[in-house]
Amino acid sequence: MEADAAEGVVVAEADSMTAFHDEVGLGWRSDLAAGIFTHLDRIDLLEVIADDFFGAPRREVHALKTLSSEVSVVLHGVGMGLASSAPVETKHLENMARLIDQVRPQFWSEHLAFVRGGGIEIGHLAAPPRTAATVEAAAENLSRASALVGSKPIVENIATLIDPPGSTLSEPAWISGILASADCDLLLDLHNVYANGLNHGYDPKEFLRQVPSARLGVIHIAGGEFIPAPDGHQRLLDDHLHDVPDPVFELLEEAAAISPNPLKVILERDGAYPSMDCLLAQIEQAGQALARGRARHNALQEVLK
Amino acid sequence: MSAREFETFLTRIYVDAGARARFRENPRAEAQRAGLSDEECAALENADFVGLEMAARSFARKRQLKRKNGFIFSIRRFLRRFFADR
Repeated sequence: MEADAAEGVVVAEADSMTAFHDEVGLGWRSDLAAGIFTHLDRIDLLEVIADDFFGAPRREVHALKTLSSEVSVVLHGVGMGLASSAPVETKHLENMARLIDQVRPQFWSEHLAFVRGGGIEIGHLAAPPRTAATVEAAAENLSRASALVGSKPIVENIATLIDPPGSTLSEPAWISGILASADCDLLLDLHNVYANGLNHGYDPKEFLRQVPSARLGVIHIAGGEFIPAPDGHQRLLDDHLHDVPDPVFELLEEAAAISPNPLKVILERDGAYPSMDCLLAQIEQAGQALARGRARHNALQEVLK
Repeated sequence: MSAREFETFLTRIYVDAGARARFRENPRAEAQRAGLSDEECAALENADFVGLEMAARSFARKRQLKRKNGFIFSIRRFLRRFFADR
């Protein structure tokens, strides 16, 4: 009886997933190349770090074009600084435009972060103060990016160990403001939501309900590590060096339950690579979480009919 | 004072250990020295100092890793070109 019920759920999940055409893929890393090529039948799409190919030899760009003819490829930027008060560097936008022209990805994405100030490079993504001024600056940068590149990026929330000083808006309000001002879609990094929630004291599920679900099209999942803080407590570092924790799969289910759009989910792993079987198992777990969320979404739609 | 100058100030305390130590010692004085407004100085006095230290360390590790990877990447690219020409 239990087995039948479980089987029934699986069928319902499969139906709902088909209806939404959700996809689950992996971040392309050259260390994973052999495993990826061997298992392309289990990977719906690949996300490539665009900045790695800026100024790359023609041969490497050609290899990327070949890859994009075999599997759906999306480009992900990491160094633009879209949420900076300073304008995004023209050269950076031109590099992105050229690569997009060569690779023809499904879409491109970038982070809502600043990466430099006063000519000094921070070296990573930093959270700007969440204010009306930075909402406006990000919208201007997005408009400029859209004009120079020829298409708008999907924008991603970032993880931050520091609660950004000088903020007057909550993170969901700040992100929603940018999405509305720039008319952009959202790449929601669920591990970033989870980590920020733990580190800065908010409920990640509540966060999901506060960002516009109609703008949600892409999701990142990843893992991190708790590191000691100077005050004797711990904070969660989003290092992409660990497996996706269960709470992130739970958030993925929540996202699928509330999103009216087909979702593209990317598993990010930047090092300490486990076996390909382990990564494929996480891709499969993501598919199962999506299916559970879609079943809930459909059940709710039935009730509302 | 503009949002851009505030970001520049944040960048400095993220990457410069000396500026960060001075800021921790006396946040208002360091912010005033950078020409930030009273409102901005007040916001910085209530900053998340634990997070600041952790973020600064994390950024430093990322910069170090980037330098290392950049060097390895350049060597790999050079060797590929060198052997491709033979």
